[in-house]
Amino acid sequence: MIEFKDVTFVHQNGVRALDSVSLEVGKGETVAVVGENGAGKTTLVKHVTGLLKPKSGKVLVDGVDTRETSTAQLSRKVGVAFQNPDHQLFSESVEKEMAFALRNFGFPPELVEKRVSWGLELFGLEEYRESSPLVLSGGEKKRLTLACILAWDPEVIILDEPTVGQDAIQKEKLAGTIRLLTSTGKTVVVVSHDIEFLWPIQPRVIVMKGGRILGDGMAAELMLRKDVLDSARVAQPQLVTFFEGLSRRPKATFADPLEVRRWAGGNR
Amino acid sequence: MMWLSGGFVFRRGTSVYHRLDPRVKLLISLLMFSVTLMVQALYQLAMVISVMVAVAAVATVLRRVARTMLLTASFSGFIFAINLLATGNLASSALYAVRFVAIVVSTSLFFITTSPDELEQVMKTFRLPRDVVFAFVTAVRFIPVMMLDTLQIMDAQKSRGLELEKGNLLKRVRNMVPILIPLVVNSVIRSGELAEAMESRAYGAVPKPTSLVKYRARPVDKAVTVLAILLFALTAYSFYFLLPAHFP
Repeated sequence: MIEFKDVTFVHQNGVRALDSVSLEVGKGETVAVVGENGAGKTTLVKHVTGLLKPKSGKVLVDGVDTRETSTAQLSRKVGVAFQNPDHQLFSESVEKEMAFALRNFGFPPELVEKRVSWGLELFGLEEYRESSPLVLSGGEKKRLTLACILAWDPEVIILDEPTVGQDAIQKEKLAGTIRLLTSTGKTVVVVSHDIEFLWPIQPRVIVMKGGRILGDGMAAELMLRKDVLDSARVAQPQLVTFFEGLSRRPKATFADPLEVRRWAGGNR
Repeated sequence: MMWLSGGFVFRRGTSVYHRLDPRVKLLISLLMFSVTLMVQALYQLAMVISVMVAVAAVATVLRRVARTMLLTASFSGFIFAINLLATGNLASSALYAVRFVAIVVSTSLFFITTSPDELEQVMKTFRLPRDVVFAFVTAVRFIPVMMLDTLQIMDAQKSRGLELEKGNLLKRVRNMVPILIPLVVNSVIRSGELAEAMESRAYGAVPKPTSLVKYRARPVDKAVTVLAILLFALTAYSFYFLLPAHFP
């Protein structure tokens, strides 16, 4: 679904944000991109949306070269929920905010109405239908931006720091939504520092540092690679740390740290 | 946006001009600005602009100034057209148009070589009210932040299928609504947060707060000041008494 072929991107100030990145993400995969600030995570996902074009190499989304299409055209396939919801909310009501993209894509009015109602219900925003999106709380705004994207049913959904400003219940709901999306065949890319949020989802994890991919693998395996995580300044999930601590005990009950996989499965 | 970025946003530099006392840099810009207003003929304006270019070269900001001049030229083209339509005088229309470029360059030279901190000190030197100084300096300081906000908002809206570059002029103007509303709202929110943060750090607690930096003019600053005033006086005299307003 998404393919990076030896992609390099250099910012105007000379910073090499992506350095020969090659990557393939299949349809229906859930991928988490982690790494310290400035690792190139957001730059990576901006290439998927076509907001940034590679200096060298190629980015293909569903076979389409992002250099040969506009972001607006590509957005029909790729929906992004940016980190700061205040950067996109402008309409006079939550309903109109949700309908904005649908109208841009030329959806018929009855379908717009149907999709808006579905999105508002899914994210518990029905009561704010007529309210201004600007008066919503931080968490509600964040949910609204996600609802706005899901409304047009893109193939790829990118969530940039989706847990910022969300309470524990909302985080659980969000994790549930991600699982639901994956089960319906959507490709989900999550950029996050919140390892504890990602761990129960058990996504494929891409660890980035200095514009390069340091590690790529399933969460259950990659989160045990302390060397990779330390190098990228990524914290290990507490559950993994707990099991590793147990495994160092002389009479350890859970000697094999890979046992966590079973636990992760149990958490689903 | 790029015009604003190139023309008025400070970037750190190590040139002799950057290191000058900010009051001297302000004086130079004011003198250049004044001379621009005194100019009565295009060739005189060309002389003034060449001095500005020389100053930009010393300050190693020639490329940025050149870009500013180029982008300002589109506005000055508009000024030229309006003047020509109103007066029918080609020479005076051209003079107004080029004068606009010179005015922008003279002010831009000060802003791109003077940090907001220096600007604050300069304004305090003139004993301007503290709140006025703070409001002005904060506005300057927030230009790059607002530019970044604008780019992020544009990214967010383009990702929702908004085609900013398509359609006729009216449609393009209408397409700016989803950009401008979040920008204004963000700015209002940010200003409120800033006010609270400032108050929680004792802003306004004492009528005369102490200052960390105090500027003292060095010999080089004094020499540049004298040179700038002399050059200004000479230029002003020449423009009024020696050089003809128009070539015979």
